[in-house]
Amino acid sequence: MEAEISNPLIIKNFEIYSLSEQAVTLSFGKEISEVLAQQIRCFNHILHQNPFKGFKTTVPAYATLTVFFDPIIVFSADLEGISIFEKVSTFLNKLKTFKIDLSNYKGETITIPVYYGGDFGPDLDEVSLHTKLSKEEIIKIHSSVTYKVYMIGFVPGFPYLGGMDNRLTTPRKTHPRAIVPAGAVGIAGEQTGVYPLDTPGGWQIIGQTPAILFDAKREQPSLLKAGDEVVFKPITLKEFDHLLGK
Amino acid sequence: MLSSIQDLGRMDYLDQAIPVSGAMDQLSARIANKAVGNSDSDAVIEFTYAAAEFKAETEILIAYAGDGATLSVNGEKLQAERPIFIPSETVIKLVNNPDGARTYLAVAGGWNVPEVLGSNSTYLTAGFGGYGGRTLKAGDHLKSFLNLSESSSIILRELKGDKIKYLSWNIPKALLLPQDRKTIRVFPAKEFTWFDSQSIIGFLSDSFSIGLNSNRMGYHLEGNKINRVEKDELLSTAVFPGTIQVTGSGNLVLLMADCQTTGGYPRIAQVASVDLPLCAQLKPGNSIRFSEISKEEAEFLYIEREKELARLTLAINSRF
Repeated sequence: MEAEISNPLIIKNFEIYSLSEQAVTLSFGKEISEVLAQQIRCFNHILHQNPFKGFKTTVPAYATLTVFFDPIIVFSADLEGISIFEKVSTFLNKLKTFKIDLSNYKGETITIPVYYGGDFGPDLDEVSLHTKLSKEEIIKIHSSVTYKVYMIGFVPGFPYLGGMDNRLTTPRKTHPRAIVPAGAVGIAGEQTGVYPLDTPGGWQIIGQTPAILFDAKREQPSLLKAGDEVVFKPITLKEFDHLLGK
Repeated sequence: MLSSIQDLGRMDYLDQAIPVSGAMDQLSARIANKAVGNSDSDAVIEFTYAAAEFKAETEILIAYAGDGATLSVNGEKLQAERPIFIPSETVIKLVNNPDGARTYLAVAGGWNVPEVLGSNSTYLTAGFGGYGGRTLKAGDHLKSFLNLSESSSIILRELKGDKIKYLSWNIPKALLLPQDRKTIRVFPAKEFTWFDSQSIIGFLSDSFSIGLNSNRMGYHLEGNKINRVEKDELLSTAVFPGTIQVTGSGNLVLLMADCQTTGGYPRIAQVASVDLPLCAQLKPGNSIRFSEISKEEAEFLYIEREKELARLTLAINSRF
């Protein structure tokens, strides 16, 4: 008997294609949407609960979930199909019939403290000029939304966040900086994000977080993972120093 | 000159955007390890080109493979792809080999560096793994693990003495590779049909040269531009070493070991895994061509290569 599911999610159809001999990608659609993200999150959960022989890991993205495996183990595993691709695809297609209870499955909400403006937000003026909003309004709007982590990509620990208020949309800088410090909070077009490492970049930097987004010494090196929710909380310079342990 | 500690890479943190990393030419790295009786995944040194010199402070059992350099002692070349006993205080020099770019040095027991996130591989961009998360430089001291495998111990016992000594056999990498090392086999990637037919024909028949701006993350390929017909934007999605992307200006980028885990450029093709070791040996200015195979064929080649490598391991283990 199947346990009663109060809020079931049914996995819609997906297309499977080969990324490499050791990975297939499941494509759930072509747009950025909360519905697709939820489908991907849930299917990822189902797969981790019911892995096949040789399964290694997954990479969730906006509209895809990529599944990595050991081809040699899959090849000799007792799975339906002849080629490695067939064996993995057939298995994954069968997992579609699994149902998952959404009420039990939610990402974490993580609060990221941010000191906005000043030396830490050198582009707040430029964003203000472009959006015709005061600095205070920008900070208020940026910190009053709950953002969704759609995926981690680009550099270790970098979150692709969805949900920024359109009023903050500002194009990238004409001249990218050679180094944007780790922890810099920025805006690029309709996106907002936080730099996890010192990297070159063209985002409009509006603030800085003392939070460490990436640390290889942590058990989970990336602070955020796909499916989490993020809230930015404005802090004072004193709080910033305190959080940094100064 | 870039030398770093690598192994076969890390797969478990791709979802946190930590690249696979690992040896660019995994075939050479594995052969060097096998030759000293190590496990394939033991840490090796990846030398890019030559211009390095190191001293064995104690006696060691080493092996090297790859085409970027030959190792020599007092002007005398050391034989590649086989175990070599090196007495203490020997100075070994790398001499440039015009054939390729990368050379792998294995030591019996493996190089002793702390494991970071399940691997010994150095990831330079984020500065972790391998030897303090950085490239090797003059003055560094590297140690090997002291507990040797049974095969390593037997090989060492057989060669141990007061001078450089080899075993008579080697693991010939050339036998595992196609004759033509400048034709790279690829299978069509998801966005293969996003380009006009002229461009696709060109991609599969023209030659492309490796750009100067090429490194462990990827190679820029210079050649005819690829014209896109599909105007859809691709949402960022997973990529993997061997993925060939087409940039906004129609240029090709071949992703290599330290590539990002996701990308938003359309992908025209994927290099067959068995040919990635060929790509790893390419240098700026080298000219290559792509030839199309099916993904089933790529799978088949992968399995065949692994079978051959497994047979080699068996042969070594049964001998020692």
